[in-house]
Amino acid sequence: MELAAVVLVVGIALAFDFVNGFHDAANSIATVVSTRVLSPRLAVAWAAFFNFVAFLVFGTAVAATIASGVVEPGALSIGVIFAGLIGAVAWNLITFYFGLPSSSSHALIGGIAGAAVAKSGFSVLIGDGIRTIGVFIVLSPLVGLALGLILMVGLQWAVAGYPKVDLINRFFRRAQLVSAAAFSLGHGGNDAQKTMGVILAVLIGAGYLPEGSDVPLWVVLSAHIAIGLGTLSGGWRIVKTMGSKITRLQPIGGVAAESAAAATLFFTSFAGIPVSTTHTITGAIVGVGASRRLSAVRWGIAGRVVWAWILTIPGAWIIAGLTYAIIAALS
Amino acid sequence: MDRRALFFLFAAALVAALIPLTDGEFRFVPIGLAIVYVVLALASYLDHRSR
Repeated sequence: MELAAVVLVVGIALAFDFVNGFHDAANSIATVVSTRVLSPRLAVAWAAFFNFVAFLVFGTAVAATIASGVVEPGALSIGVIFAGLIGAVAWNLITFYFGLPSSSSHALIGGIAGAAVAKSGFSVLIGDGIRTIGVFIVLSPLVGLALGLILMVGLQWAVAGYPKVDLINRFFRRAQLVSAAAFSLGHGGNDAQKTMGVILAVLIGAGYLPEGSDVPLWVVLSAHIAIGLGTLSGGWRIVKTMGSKITRLQPIGGVAAESAAAATLFFTSFAGIPVSTTHTITGAIVGVGASRRLSAVRWGIAGRVVWAWILTIPGAWIIAGLTYAIIAALS
Repeated sequence: MDRRALFFLFAAALVAALIPLTDGEFRFVPIGLAIVYVVLALASYLDHRSR
């Protein structure tokens, strides 16, 4: 019975990873598609490949944070993780339906925290871990914004006065393939690790692994395959919001935005901080737009994005808490 | 008044407010970022004035 429950929860965790790829990986390709460097079909294949190979680059620090840095590991029963995942998946689907680029990562953290609190009260939350994640909820888009702006200004200075504009455009269109790949790598590294952390917590909680275990290779590979397949399925409503509605991007701006977001994701992945790829690329795109002038950014859309950020943790928290209450009542 | 400089100053203040909340290991991130935003605000102000 317990083995069946573990298999079910691992399956839902991988489904969450798939939905994450479907929902979030659109960010990786938004600029490449909106600047017409790649067709949508090729762009998702490109992003999916780099999502998958991210396991060769990054460690498992983010997975360890998810497994033991948000909620006391003892409180993470199979029921709590199941309810947390239901909360996160449901919230992702709701925001996907409305075309809001909210964060899968924060949905997952909100969902697990909400279910754990419904089971054992607020004392199971790990203050330091929650605080660091909370601080980086605000910092990650602001780091992306500053880096995006600085890179954009730097690149514009570098090419200023160069007479062959066509050549410059062609160079940056090609360079965008590299920057989009780097961003997809960062996305795969940070986001697949969140699923790995959930599966690790389930396996430890059910006694299949001792506490403090490393993430098994099959978990690493299955998480990256799931997010890669999700990306391959694509999420076009959100591509449209990210790629063209926040600000108008040229290839040079796409390179700046993706490179800035990739650098932020690389740092946080190695540091073990789960951040939102959506927040990061949004901040970087706003930074590129703001390098021209503030009015180049469509703040109405950016504001909708901010509302999605604010609502994500409470939304997933409430759904997960209610789900856990139903499970507890039924059992 | 340059709205962009004000925006960067607001961002610097927001980031600076996060410094005491940040774990010691990562405190260099908000400190560095606050400095960057102050520099960006100054640069934006000077750019605005020079036009």
